[in-house]
Amino acid sequence: MRKAGGKGLALGLFAAASLLLGIGLGSVFISPAKILSALTGGGDEGTRALVLGLRLPRVALAFLAGAALSAGGAVMQSALENPLASPFGLGVSAGAGLGASAVMVLGVGGALGAFALPAAGFAGGLGTVLLALALARAFDSRLSSVTVVLTGMVLSLFFSAILDLMAAMNPDYAQRIGLWQMGSFAAKGWQGVGVLCPVLLLCLGVFLSRARELDLLSFGDEQAQAMGLDPRRTRRFLIALVAVLTGTAVAFSGIIGFVDLVAPHVARRLFGAAHRRLLPAAALLGGSFMVLCDLASRTLASPREIPVGAVTALLGAPFFIVIFLKGRRAP
Amino acid sequence: MLKVEKLSCGYGGEPVVRDISFTLSQGQRLVLLGPNGCGKTTLLRAVTGLLPSTGLLELDGRDLRSLSARERGRKMAMLTQMSGTGFAFTVWETVLMGRYPHLGRGVFASPSAEDRRIAEDCLKSLGLWAERDRPITELSGGQLQRVLLARTFAQTPEIILLDEPTNHLDLKVQVELVEQLKDWSSRPGRAAVGVFHDLDLALSFADTVLLMDRGRAVYLGSTDRLDPALLSRVFEMDVPAYMRNSRKRWESMGE
Repeated sequence: MRKAGGKGLALGLFAAASLLLGIGLGSVFISPAKILSALTGGGDEGTRALVLGLRLPRVALAFLAGAALSAGGAVMQSALENPLASPFGLGVSAGAGLGASAVMVLGVGGALGAFALPAAGFAGGLGTVLLALALARAFDSRLSSVTVVLTGMVLSLFFSAILDLMAAMNPDYAQRIGLWQMGSFAAKGWQGVGVLCPVLLLCLGVFLSRARELDLLSFGDEQAQAMGLDPRRTRRFLIALVAVLTGTAVAFSGIIGFVDLVAPHVARRLFGAAHRRLLPAAALLGGSFMVLCDLASRTLASPREIPVGAVTALLGAPFFIVIFLKGRRAP
Repeated sequence: MLKVEKLSCGYGGEPVVRDISFTLSQGQRLVLLGPNGCGKTTLLRAVTGLLPSTGLLELDGRDLRSLSARERGRKMAMLTQMSGTGFAFTVWETVLMGRYPHLGRGVFASPSAEDRRIAEDCLKSLGLWAERDRPITELSGGQLQRVLLARTFAQTPEIILLDEPTNHLDLKVQVELVEQLKDWSSRPGRAAVGVFHDLDLALSFADTVLLMDRGRAVYLGSTDRLDPALLSRVFEMDVPAYMRNSRKRWESMGE
């Protein structure tokens, strides 16, 4: 127990450090002391504007999106008893991409203003997962995890193809669609934070309240049912909620892969598989990782920005291999 | 405790099990016997409620199908062939999960001191206490199955359903597991229904046999009175001759 507490403290410090680094580093360096004084309303006006108007909203959105994707990934993997499952794989991203691109190309949703794109992305992501669940249920009344994963994968590929087709047929929008698909936290302001923060807290709370059910689901339907759980109902509810959470995140950030797959595995290796510890750990780890990836995306090739989705994969893949294979090699 | 009457069930509208009836009373150990595809596992799945079925299915006088998943989990547990999970839960966490159907309904309900004591007793009685902090992904097949048995016991059910629980295990572990299950079901208020891959092991476990052929019951009665000729007809081979030859092989070994 004390060991877990120590690890938790270390993870908290890591998260705080990554937030400070994310706010402090960039074209202008801001020291932690200056950041703190800007946050409390002190310091000079230029620094305050930079911290509160530019860096903090960006870093906060990156952290929240990373936390949402990672916690969503952890729930998805357990609910489907499949370590390779992810919101990305189940079609959240492809659906969100399709929704957002439709808004760009068709120019609809004017009444929603700046929220049109995120709203379409959210609707597309949630709609795709719900469609995947409905289709899976039509083929397999037991709603087994293999059917859900396969249906999600097929839908995801199908929608990605439509997305490519849309981009090819509308060359004027191809670049914008392409950029959205690569994800970015640049110039998003406080809007995204304002929406994603309450959604994340609410979803995390619900997931935590279902931590024991998630533990049971990790053992598959037959065993979960034998222990007194209704696996179908629980799984449907949890997956729909993951779609709401990750759909909201993707709506503001664009498509960013890998975090939802990698961060939960790293969190499991450090904090074990029990969800009451896994979920907060995955959220903190995923959030911190995303902040650091975003930092790399805007500083490594400055003044150009590397798409953050590329950074998560470039950093995440080797990191994952080291962590995963090191664990496998152990006796 | 368990009353099954004219139970029929199957997959996709095609009945695999037809008109099966049996009762299970305290202390009874019933084994379902029959060749592959005769409907043993299907019948077992119907009794768990995993598979829809028609006919009477009563547990302690109540329609089993009307029970909630948790109510059912408090009365009935199931041990299948070795099947853990790829996720690294510890032995302790895994066994404590057996208490799930007994937890309070509150959103953040957690195991009570009593729940922990029961899980601890189950671990200790199966000699697993020293392993409690190990991830189950690191255990051998035999150890994992013992952990899952401890979890089944921790569920404190009245009836344990067994679906080929000894598959893929070493002979010693198979025999130990069967002994532990016999010991468990000999206590008051308990009974077990099982399917075993190994005929010999099945007969050493059970006191009652339900012999099935193509979805129908052809014998229901004590293990001692089972007619070897009937067994041979259902399995389409001379079962006693096979057992005799096997025994001869052992007796002549090392001479």
